[in-house]
Amino acid sequence: MSAFLANQKTARKTARVHTSLWLWILFSGCAFATVTLFFIPAFIIRPFRYQAPRALLLAMGLHQRAPLGTLITGAACFFLAFALWKTVGRWRKALIVFALLIVTFSAVMAHQNYFEWMFHPIADPRFLAQSESKLGSKEMILAVRLGSDARAYPISQMAYHHILNDVVAGVPIAVTY
Amino acid sequence: MNGRALHFYLAGINNQNFLMRDEETGTWWQQITGKAIYGPLQGAALELVLSDELTFGEWRAESPAGEVLAPIAKYTKEYDPNWEPDVAKLPVVISFPGTELKSRDVVIGLTINGTARAYPWETFARQSPVLDHVNGTPLLLALGPDGKSFRVFVSRIDGRDAEFFLQTNSSQDAKDEMKDWTLLDTFTNSQWNFQGCATSGPAQGKCLDRVPALKDYWFDWRNYHPDTTVYKH
Repeated sequence: MSAFLANQKTARKTARVHTSLWLWILFSGCAFATVTLFFIPAFIIRPFRYQAPRALLLAMGLHQRAPLGTLITGAACFFLAFALWKTVGRWRKALIVFALLIVTFSAVMAHQNYFEWMFHPIADPRFLAQSESKLGSKEMILAVRLGSDARAYPISQMAYHHILNDVVAGVPIAVTY
Repeated sequence: MNGRALHFYLAGINNQNFLMRDEETGTWWQQITGKAIYGPLQGAALELVLSDELTFGEWRAESPAGEVLAPIAKYTKEYDPNWEPDVAKLPVVISFPGTELKSRDVVIGLTINGTARAYPWETFARQSPVLDHVNGTPLLLALGPDGKSFRVFVSRIDGRDAEFFLQTNSSQDAKDEMKDWTLLDTFTNSQWNFQGCATSGPAQGKCLDRVPALKDYWFDWRNYHPDTTVYKH
């Protein structure tokens, strides 16, 4: 009788260990996916490095899917961490917390456009009559004329912001430098 | 694009030519070509608007009613008045050894019906006005009166090829130089201004057709126009 009970106990214990092992595998998978979705595109599309055509395609593909993807895999990580939490000791708890921090960071970054942190897009372009402008006559500008509307975009400004959405004579244009 | 206005934001960098995405569809576009390289609109291309790189002085004289993008107060300090030499110092990630130019050499790049040609800036500035033929089209490349602005035209008047040369007037002092910058054509012997319009002579009132051209670094132009030829003289 007691041998039978002991067997049952061991079986239950083995089952628990199996479940917990699966939870760990899933948790690692989710964490890995979340981190990958952010870091691989960020790594490939970094300035002053060569972008190979296939790597660039991969980066764009992952980046495109990252906002939704990291939300799903990130949420799954938290769910699995919750399930794992009571079954593990202090050190593994620390590991879980550490993984969750990286996962959260990746998911948040996947929703940010850090290129715009550097170059600050012009949300609301304003224009001056040419007589009010303080530009020197030797400074370079990009000029666009559509119909009777002429606009000048100083290159010193465009070289910083890089891109500007504007409407000239009713035509939507993107000015880039 | 197809009647819908798209709004673009910076999304990355592809060998130092930036990538932008549009807010409406999330498609990825290459700056230099205006082509959609990935996403829902892949394969589409934006229409290029003719633009000029001019000095403010030249543009001001041509466009009395023109408007200038105002500096954004918050970032004025970040604007680099020395952007040109500073950018030239940045490293490059692609190079084309064996080609006749160095990566950071400045060129004027243009494409006529799919045929690309690059004009090294220094050669162009020394020789201006430059006359050339690309894919059967006669071209006139002119450095402006200020020595910094440039424009490219089809050098054809009423369907006939014409040659242009700079009319020099040494009696004028430096201040009047801008006013007196004039091209003469060999076909009608008319005088032409930097906007490509005849100001006097038989062709008066006519204007030459413009050719879009891009001032670019050699490595970037060559990367996106692998078949480009280089103007030599």
